[in-house]
Amino acid sequence: MRERLEALCGEGLAAIAAAESSTQLAEIESSFLGRTGALTAQLKGLGKLEAAERPAIGKLANEIKQKLQQAFDAAGETLQQQELAADLASVGVDCSLPGPTVELGSVHPVMAIARELEDIFQSMGFVIWDGPELESEVNNFDALNIPGDHPARESHDTIWMKSADGEERRCLRTHTSPVQVRALREFGAPLRVIAPGRVFRQEAQDSTHEHTFHQMEGLVVGKNIGVPHMLHVMNSMLEGVFKRKLETRLRPGFFPFVEPGFELDARCPFCKDGCKVCKGSTWIELMPGGLVHPNVLTAAGVDPNEYSGFAFGLGLSRMAMLRYGIHDIRYMCSGDLRFLKQFQA
Amino acid sequence: MKISLNWIGDFVDINDKSATEISDLLSIHTAEVEGIEYIGDNISGVVVAEVLSCERHPDADKLSVTTLNYGADETVQVVCGASNVRAGLKVALAPVGCVLPGDFEIKTAKLRGQLSQGMICSDSEIELSDDSDGIKELPADAPVGVRLIDYLKLSDTVLELDNKSLTHRPDLWGHYGFARELAAILKRPLKAYPSEFSWPDNSSEYSLELDGQQFSHCYQLAELSIGKGPQSSPGWMQKRLLAVGQRIVSDVVDVSNYVMLELGQPTHAFDKSKVSGKQLSVRPANEKECFVALDESSCELVASDFVIADSAKAIALAGVIGGANSEVCSETTSILLESASFDATAVRRSALQHNLRSEASSRFEKSLDPGYTALASQRVCQLLCEMRDDIVVDCAPVFAGNSAVPSDSLLLNAAQARTLLGIDISTDEIIDNLTSLGFKVEASGDELSVAAPSYRATKDIQSAVDIVEEVGRIAGYDKIVPQPLSAPIEVPQQLPYRKLASKLLMRLVNNHQAHETQSYSFIADDWAELVGLTCYDFIQIANPVNDAVSLLRQNPALSLLSQVAVNQREFADGRLCEFTKGYKNNPNGGEAIESRLLAMLVWGSSDLPKSGQQSLVGQLRAVADDLCSLLNINSQYHVNPEGLLENYGFAHPKQSVEISFARQSLGMISRIHPTIVSALGVDSSDAAILLLDVDALVDAEAKTKFKFSAPPSFPAVKVDVALALPVAVDYAAAHKAVSAAAGNLLDSIELFDVYSGPGLEEGQHSMAFTIQLRSSDRTLSDSEEQKFIKKVSKAAEQLGGNLRS
Ligand SMILES: [Zn+2]
Repeated sequence: MRERLEALCGEGLAAIAAAESSTQLAEIESSFLGRTGALTAQLKGLGKLEAAERPAIGKLANEIKQKLQQAFDAAGETLQQQELAADLASVGVDCSLPGPTVELGSVHPVMAIARELEDIFQSMGFVIWDGPELESEVNNFDALNIPGDHPARESHDTIWMKSADGEERRCLRTHTSPVQVRALREFGAPLRVIAPGRVFRQEAQDSTHEHTFHQMEGLVVGKNIGVPHMLHVMNSMLEGVFKRKLETRLRPGFFPFVEPGFELDARCPFCKDGCKVCKGSTWIELMPGGLVHPNVLTAAGVDPNEYSGFAFGLGLSRMAMLRYGIHDIRYMCSGDLRFLKQFQA
Repeated sequence: MKISLNWIGDFVDINDKSATEISDLLSIHTAEVEGIEYIGDNISGVVVAEVLSCERHPDADKLSVTTLNYGADETVQVVCGASNVRAGLKVALAPVGCVLPGDFEIKTAKLRGQLSQGMICSDSEIELSDDSDGIKELPADAPVGVRLIDYLKLSDTVLELDNKSLTHRPDLWGHYGFARELAAILKRPLKAYPSEFSWPDNSSEYSLELDGQQFSHCYQLAELSIGKGPQSSPGWMQKRLLAVGQRIVSDVVDVSNYVMLELGQPTHAFDKSKVSGKQLSVRPANEKECFVALDESSCELVASDFVIADSAKAIALAGVIGGANSEVCSETTSILLESASFDATAVRRSALQHNLRSEASSRFEKSLDPGYTALASQRVCQLLCEMRDDIVVDCAPVFAGNSAVPSDSLLLNAAQARTLLGIDISTDEIIDNLTSLGFKVEASGDELSVAAPSYRATKDIQSAVDIVEEVGRIAGYDKIVPQPLSAPIEVPQQLPYRKLASKLLMRLVNNHQAHETQSYSFIADDWAELVGLTCYDFIQIANPVNDAVSLLRQNPALSLLSQVAVNQREFADGRLCEFTKGYKNNPNGGEAIESRLLAMLVWGSSDLPKSGQQSLVGQLRAVADDLCSLLNINSQYHVNPEGLLENYGFAHPKQSVEISFARQSLGMISRIHPTIVSALGVDSSDAAILLLDVDALVDAEAKTKFKFSAPPSFPAVKVDVALALPVAVDYAAAHKAVSAAAGNLLDSIELFDVYSGPGLEEGQHSMAFTIQLRSSDRTLSDSEEQKFIKKVSKAAEQLGGNLRS
């Protein structure tokens, strides 16, 4: 027993001397002094000794245990110091190396602007409403005071569905404006509503023309609502899109469903004294709007003698092009990942 | 449309205003000005000079050495090659530093040893005409040193207006209309339109017959003898016509164009000798009647066209273009001058039908004031007779129809106009503004009774709000101060599907590497067959943008797949997502069904395993699981359910899954049929799609409730089991068996490996699960763990396999 203990002491000290890291040292310590360690096993065996032998061997065993423990502690301290020094020296560490690539998705620029504007309008108490993309001729034109012989109804402007004889003509809505009438019929007055959505035109594609694009209609109807309210809402919306205040102006514009009708121009955000985007004028035409025509209110079941209101139409695709400097609208529906990936959520 | 500011100056004084000021005023008050062109700017450096001396060049026969006075302190020496240069002549000199058209800068030069400090110009060098034969000779009294453009009055400013912003204004298709606007805006007097003309008393031999269908409101015919025949029009008129882009023809035609550009009313001259009989009629065209227009294009007329006809033939397509058979030519000595008012829509249709849109038709389609017919007729006769002594009007004009425009007085409340516009404008100022635009106003306090002038009453001004606009735009929209809406009283109602779709879409983007896209709603006709349908199963477009793409899609699967074809060269794999619509006719009639769909398409190498977590379907299954758990929907999956292919013809027959909740379908996952993938031009990739019906998800979400459960008090026991099972036993069956073995101790179960190969019997595969067992009221013992393992072993045997570990 004594020999065994002394041998263990020698093995232990040798192992400590050979330990290269504190982790290794901890393993060695556990193999001697741990719950199932070699020395611990010997100590457990003391009980089986003759009573006469027990005090001396027991003393020796405890001395060896203490001796080893001290050696472990001392070696541990030294190794930790060495390791800290090595860590701080940081030899071979290259912090310029990149981390693992995180694959991210992306949002569509038009939808991103739509969602941002929805948040802004919701905070101003607007209902967000929607209507079908396949509309009746009545909703897309008649209810909006667009006369029966208006060129917009013709097949070079509007995409019509095939229809059987006697069936009501259907088209892909050419604007989000039919939602004005739909929302008014649903909620009545007073009302404030926006309607973002996809619209269609019978149009050959080029860098600035698409047959499929996105608009957002806005409508406010109430008592004594006038142009100053419209101007305020339009300005707030532009601030939302461009993230800063833009100087704006109203010009006369003609749309059958509003009267008076306006075009809102904003000071070109890209230049001081004329550039390609504003065609040198320093103004950019941004959105049409106007006071809702009494005929539209009547068609929607609202009394124009009691209520007035304004409506506007924002070209979401156009806003996205202006905000991000996209020069070709055809990218929008291309699905080209090289385009899409640039717009982070 | 182009307007010349010199021309406008005939009617209202705008001399003190710069072109940009006028342009801004019109843009803000009337219609958008798209551009400003400064006529004569390109030769502004050219001055009138006098040739003082002219000698033969000592070393060149054809050159002369001249000295000139051009109003500067010193004379200049110029070498000139023209044969008509001579002492005493007044010429157009481009001095050193002057830039001529074509960016040609004049520099000091030596020609055969002689100093030349400028250039004496020919007409063509300063773009006055094509004449390059010799230098331009100016009259002897031309003032030396004056700019040529000032002396010849060549300088003008032309504004280009956006035609689209004029479509509703019949009064703005001539200069006079813009003069009226500027007079109102600037509060300056407007000169009366110069159309005084004394007609002879004798009456015409001609008679007119108008159709009874309201196509022609009125028609005036004048007869003129033009002695020496058409000549060239005077320089002042040519200058104006050229400035606004009108081609020069002959005085007879030029005057007609001049009046059209001035007043807006087209007129047309027929060669009287080519007209048969003494009656002109306006009648519907005969179906298939052949007509050859002035421009020599020929067309076959349709019954909705109207023509002007003599006793034998159609001589004009009414309101659109004259006929070649009655065209004025150099031999013409007498003309019939038409000035008429035609129905706007019919003219537009006719022009469109035959692809013959003309200056005339584009004006008639704006609903011109019928009252303009007499004015224009008089103005043309007046100008022609003033210009030429050998032109005489033969007799009094013949007139048929009615030129009056019915106009009811409209009631306008001035106070209400102020409220709507938000402009503080007095009632008197409102009345002044309207009056200056030609409206008649009767006021009683704030109540105004307003009658529109005939040139506004045909179409443009129909109700009181139209007058509000007139008041506002003349007063100036810049006076409007923005005003916030007052606070809303209620929380606005929102569309549940929009919110939910946005939430899920952002999850796809942020957690599942999906790129949001937009794809077209139309699909190619060929694709119908690919999904086992015919064109008649789809809603069909009557006038598609592209003839071969005329169907409205039922779902976005193939539209998205076609975007893979765009990307495959640069991206071997990828994920696209879209919240969009599918369209179907409602079998019960009524509005079409537009289903709101959330779609995610993944593509990747065809070498990927076809099942399991690495497979495309597996990847989408993980996405679907995540979305459903986000909504707390405990969805069910049915593999290759019957009937799926009928609704989703693109699906793979053996690799599709239907997602449902409470027996309601929420959508599906499927690999896209390999034939379709390659038909859409996608090579060496497989694709799979997840389609979710957003409205069904809204319903399902409404039926589920999130319930909080307290964190467990007792620890879980983690057990890994691997089952060797016959290949026919799929994951769903194995999962079910292991879950059943855990019973109510089941805390979680997760598949971590699927394997087949060495170590397994032929026809077997292995599935390994990590299971957490937990009880809510005790710490589980070893024996409970062993009991579970035994149960799993027994279940594996029942399935024809065994527990491997
Ligand atoms: Zn700019």
